[in-house]
Amino acid sequence: MNEFLFVILPYLCLTTFVVGHLWRYRYDKFGWTTRSSQLYENRLLRIGSPLFHFGMLGVVGGHIIGLLVPQSWTDWAGVSEHAYHVVAVTGGLLAGVMAVVGMAILMYRRRTVGPVFSATTRMDKVMYAFLAVVIVLGMWNTIAGSIMTIGGEYNYREGVSVWYRSFLAFHPDASLMADAPLGFQLHALVAFGLFALWPFTRLVHVFSAPVGYLTRPYIVYRSRDDAQLGSHRPRRGWDRVG
Amino acid sequence: MTPSHKKSTSDIGMDGSLMEALVRSRRFFTKGTVSDDLRTISQVGGREADDFYRDRWSHDKVVRSTHGVNCTGSCSWKVYVKDGIITWETQQTDYPSVGPDSPEYEPRGCPRGAAFSWYTYSPTRVRYPYVRGVLLQMFREARSQHDGDPVKAWEHIVENPLRAKAYKSARGKGGLVRATWEEVSEIVAAAHVHTIKKYGPDRVAGFSPIPAMSMVSHASGARFVNLIGGSMLSFYDWYADLPVASPQVFGDQTDVPESGDWWNAGYLIMWGSNLPVTRTPDAHWMTEARYRGQKVIAVAPDYADNVKFADEWLAAKPGTDAALAMAMGHVVLKEFFVDRQTPYFTEYVKTYTDLPHLVRLEEAADGEYTAGKFLTAADLPDHIGDENAAFKTVLIDSVTGKPVIPNGSLGHRYGEAGVGSWNLELGDVDPVLSLLDTATESVVVRMPRFDTPDGAAADLPRGIPVRRVDGHLVTTVYDLLLAQYGVGRSHEGQALPGVWPTGDNRGYDDAQSPYTPAWQEAITGVPAATAARIGREFAQNAEESKGRSMIVMGAGTNHWFHSDTIYRAFLTLTNLTGCQGVNGGGWAHYVGQEKVRPITGYTQIANALDWNRPPRNMIQTAYWYLHTNQFRYDQFGADTLSATTGKGQLAGKSTADVIAQSARMGWMPSYPTFDRNPLDLSDDAAAAGKPIGEYVAEQLKSGELDFAGEDPDAPSNYPRILSIWRANLLGSSGKGNEYFLKHLLGTDSSVRATETPEGQRPVDVKWRDEAPEGKLDLLMTIDFRQTSTTIFSDVVLPAATWYEKHDLNTTDMHPFVHSFNPAIAPPWQTRTDWDAWQTIAEKFSELAATHLGVRKDVVAVPLTHDTPDAMANPHGVVRDWKKGECEPIPGVTMPKLVEVERDYGAVAEKMNALGPLVDTLGATTKGVTFELSKQVDYLRAKNGAVRGGVADGRPSLKKDVNVCEAILAMSGTTNGHLATQGFKTLEKRTGVRLADLAEEHEGKQITFADTQGPPVPVITSPEWSGSETGGRRYSPFTINVERKKPWHTLTGRMHFYLDHDWMTELGEGLPVYRPPLNMAALFAEPALGTVSDGSAGQVEGLTVRYLTPHNKWSIHSEYQDNLFMLSLSRGGQNIWMSDRDAAKVGIKDNDWIEAVNRNGVVVARAIVSHRMPEGTVYMYHAQDRLIDVPLAETSGKRGGIHNSLTRLLVKPSHLIGGYAQLTFAFNYLGPTGNQRDEVTIIRKRSQDVTY
Repeated sequence: MNEFLFVILPYLCLTTFVVGHLWRYRYDKFGWTTRSSQLYENRLLRIGSPLFHFGMLGVVGGHIIGLLVPQSWTDWAGVSEHAYHVVAVTGGLLAGVMAVVGMAILMYRRRTVGPVFSATTRMDKVMYAFLAVVIVLGMWNTIAGSIMTIGGEYNYREGVSVWYRSFLAFHPDASLMADAPLGFQLHALVAFGLFALWPFTRLVHVFSAPVGYLTRPYIVYRSRDDAQLGSHRPRRGWDRVG
Repeated sequence: MTPSHKKSTSDIGMDGSLMEALVRSRRFFTKGTVSDDLRTISQVGGREADDFYRDRWSHDKVVRSTHGVNCTGSCSWKVYVKDGIITWETQQTDYPSVGPDSPEYEPRGCPRGAAFSWYTYSPTRVRYPYVRGVLLQMFREARSQHDGDPVKAWEHIVENPLRAKAYKSARGKGGLVRATWEEVSEIVAAAHVHTIKKYGPDRVAGFSPIPAMSMVSHASGARFVNLIGGSMLSFYDWYADLPVASPQVFGDQTDVPESGDWWNAGYLIMWGSNLPVTRTPDAHWMTEARYRGQKVIAVAPDYADNVKFADEWLAAKPGTDAALAMAMGHVVLKEFFVDRQTPYFTEYVKTYTDLPHLVRLEEAADGEYTAGKFLTAADLPDHIGDENAAFKTVLIDSVTGKPVIPNGSLGHRYGEAGVGSWNLELGDVDPVLSLLDTATESVVVRMPRFDTPDGAAADLPRGIPVRRVDGHLVTTVYDLLLAQYGVGRSHEGQALPGVWPTGDNRGYDDAQSPYTPAWQEAITGVPAATAARIGREFAQNAEESKGRSMIVMGAGTNHWFHSDTIYRAFLTLTNLTGCQGVNGGGWAHYVGQEKVRPITGYTQIANALDWNRPPRNMIQTAYWYLHTNQFRYDQFGADTLSATTGKGQLAGKSTADVIAQSARMGWMPSYPTFDRNPLDLSDDAAAAGKPIGEYVAEQLKSGELDFAGEDPDAPSNYPRILSIWRANLLGSSGKGNEYFLKHLLGTDSSVRATETPEGQRPVDVKWRDEAPEGKLDLLMTIDFRQTSTTIFSDVVLPAATWYEKHDLNTTDMHPFVHSFNPAIAPPWQTRTDWDAWQTIAEKFSELAATHLGVRKDVVAVPLTHDTPDAMANPHGVVRDWKKGECEPIPGVTMPKLVEVERDYGAVAEKMNALGPLVDTLGATTKGVTFELSKQVDYLRAKNGAVRGGVADGRPSLKKDVNVCEAILAMSGTTNGHLATQGFKTLEKRTGVRLADLAEEHEGKQITFADTQGPPVPVITSPEWSGSETGGRRYSPFTINVERKKPWHTLTGRMHFYLDHDWMTELGEGLPVYRPPLNMAALFAEPALGTVSDGSAGQVEGLTVRYLTPHNKWSIHSEYQDNLFMLSLSRGGQNIWMSDRDAAKVGIKDNDWIEAVNRNGVVVARAIVSHRMPEGTVYMYHAQDRLIDVPLAETSGKRGGIHNSLTRLLVKPSHLIGGYAQLTFAFNYLGPTGNQRDEVTIIRKRSQDVTY
């Protein structure tokens, strides 16, 4: 059972994530969008969206540090367990609260503002459900596990993180997850579910975040291809004469 | 320039140092080059994404086509095709220039046309042949039971009441299943063969309206129907688009100026015509003419779209337009004829109108008189023996003071003596307009009036100057007209006797006396001073510009029961002021796309006149009035409409009786004609050894033979087959929709009316206790989209669209002949109409060869306009042989009877070839016969000749393009040889010069290939009354006015006065105001404005006038289901009402409401708008029943369509025939299917709707 939940299923999800994105990019370039609803409503969006997105940036950063950096490295760098804990919990809590509050505003907006709700697809609703559960579980793990220590103390850096790295290295060790508290297990499982949905939702916009705009001059010139005479690429089967 | 601005571009920094640093860092991340000033980045390549938008607007070919939708637009379009798919369309922009002093035709097109290509691949497209499942199953079973004989199989089904009911009651309830063309055409053919054999060919009817919208498609089925002897149903009168005033006044079917001629007008009144909405591609002429100084007036009850273009808005109450026009006419007569003579007007009316012609007065009670008949040569002892003396009217010459018989009257049009004298030349004669100066005495004439709110008849006495001519007490039409309009005068120092307007301001402020400006104010709500001023300005402009005042009129004023009186009040304005027959002046009546410019060629093909004559052409209003049993729900007699000055000729008659009388006297057509199969009737006559005319007259007189119209509910007299193509009878034009569903189709309906009580039922027409339901055996529709009609049809055939076939299209609005051309071949299993009917004809011929063979068919033909038939009834005296007032004489007192041989096995062969009668008999249009042998030779070469069969050696009509060529080659407007030839023929009769009008184009022939290029204007031809010679804009009657060619009327002039018995009976001898029908009095509907709480068994709600004007988002039912138009409009059925009315019954905008009256129920959403006048609701015409039609609470049935609330009401005077211009011709004269006088209750319903 654990093999399935923490090895097979995650790999399936991850495969779907990767292949799904390739497929979407190949066949639905013009559907690769945030499906912005800014035109329909912007008062709530102006507060909710930055809160959520910047909160999520923090959350993702925290996960990268927490999951990918082995405890041995921080130990080696002389970061004490306590110091790490304080930084992680404080930062995580701040980012988490931002994300949760932002998400709450956005979901409230999405449900109550008529035009926005009308522009909400079935896929959006499923995705929102997964996203909300993942975030809420993550907050719960942070609060319950690391602050209130309900159900005893658990150092995820010795369990979940190690499993995750083993998973990425294709040497998965399901037992590590099996020993984790239920909250962590659920968080991971639902998160993988979200990864599986990802390519089929508006979440694809994560990969087209307009980072390049930060450094781009206003005007872009693109030269015409030398092989091409007019403004249109030559069509298949038509040879250039002369 | 200050020094601070003298920075070079590179000195101007970015928004900040951070920004600059960021952008400057770009060069580390790119292969491209970032410019020094950081403004641009240059990349090599990377333009692949351009292909996306370049491909979006690329196409493989552009095809010229147009739309055949009866919108009058006839706009040329470019249709774009890409990868074999029709992608979009744009307007053509290559119309010929109008000239240096005028705007051009472009832009031509509207959003509806631009959205058409959606239909090609739309979900509502009919892609395959369909048959109702229950019928198909029965047919297959019956066919195998009868050894594969489809005719016997059809008989097996329809002659068995249970089986017939099984499929008829399923109509409109879904269950259409796919079938093959082979099987479907066999069902249709078998039904035709069985019906012809058992009941007669005249029990088969075809309905396809408005040939001008696609002539070949119209001709396809019409040709088949006419070859087998079926009845083609009229459309112009049926649509209530036919202004009966046009035959009455002009003796011509509607002839109107093209929209380019609006530019020439100095004064333009839009009267019940919403140009930007209903003439969208033409409206620009009106907006442009305003910059030329044209004054524009809008008369509309609501704040319509056109009102914002107008300098002034007269918001006359619905249906009261005649009152306003009468008051304006009063002002024109008073100020431009009586108080001051206007030379231009006086000369004009003397020459071109009947005003100087003499009318006898008939003595009524108490020494008072009524207006009687025109004085004719037959009344003068010296001329009594003249040829056609009873049809030559008389006037008085002012020089000699003696009566003169002027040229040009009907009596000169026919006969030997009239050759060369049918013209309006007066020579030295100066007609006397009024007898006032020379009168020997004055008498009091009773003038009928109907101006009480309930329209009740009354009259008032008005004095008229008279004199005696050969013992007859006479006056002029002009003197009668002044009396009618209430313009008082003095005779020998004394005011004429009678009741006249009195008081200040020339009597204009006398509100009691018709037809003063103050009188109209109480009726129309238009201030008296405004009405007077507009009337004055209209005439003033006409005087100064020599007739360039124009009235654009349309459905808003024409769809009323008494529209003919409304229009005659309008035409009085244009005809008094010399505007008719002048560019930029006169009436401009726009309704359907009536003008088939190549009319002669089209008529030969569609009526199959090249193979057999005459066709059976039926007046559709009377047809459905009887056959949908609406006559069983009338609550009043025909004499309800009579004037007090009448003689009671309509007393005791129901409307159905009047229709029957008109039919048996040969006035109007009547099909099915007799209560016997006309094929058997011919056999019976042969067996009796008598000529058919004699035999039928005898049989009728003895009562052994009866007219089918006198017992329409006898099963042998039902219409059995109805084919509909290019039309949506049950979604658009079928007034009394619920009666159609109940009685004709035999399916669910919401008729709520009670039948006519005993005592008011017809006398001559048989009343059967049980009203039949499901009369029709086969309803077949050919269409490219699902409509309200297809869903009720037994058989639906898939048609090609306007982008998938060859065809021709013309309009009143411009002088060009446009072609349809296929952008793609008909997709799926669709076929062009021409192909579809060929398929049916072939299958029919195959079955008919054995079942029918060659038969003789007796066709009853009504007395026909533009023939000597117009002289059948001298003085328009009614003579009914059935009442013993005369003998039944075919062609005089009853219909002509013509035997036609029908080779039923050869129908397909005949359909596909041009027959021999065009060579031997020629082709006649409006009395001018064209000799066509050269054109036939040309067509033989152009189309190829048929080999073998009955059509051996004849020009082929196998393909739609062949038909296009034939139509163009055989019409004067498209063949200069024929136009010139026709004018030369007409020159002989008129004695005036005409041929030069066409000679400039004698060698010009417009071929189909020409129509595929830039638009080509047509040639001036005797087929029409206007001239385009020298590239001028088309305006009707310019030939009549400029060349003194008579109108086709009794006097040869435009008529103010009509002396037919029934016109006198209705009090409509002269223009008169008649209010809308009072439905509360006639049908016990609640009075207008009543708010009912639902007690006493009534429906709760507000009673309002119910109008069905034309829509901004659709053309009839077309486009209203189109996704683009649905997105632009609210979509679904809706009813507009005023905010004040809505408040009375608690209705808010967008609420679901029900409109209920005795005729049915409609469920729709309310659009509450302050633009609407109080007391009136609009349900825009033909919103169809395919989108968002929930169940009605009132009936429990599916909520209906706009016509669920209407019904047919026939005006007896529209049935007049056999007398001068009041003689039948197809779509020229006939009862109108009017619908504007209706009322309805509007109630708020539950907002939860179910389907």
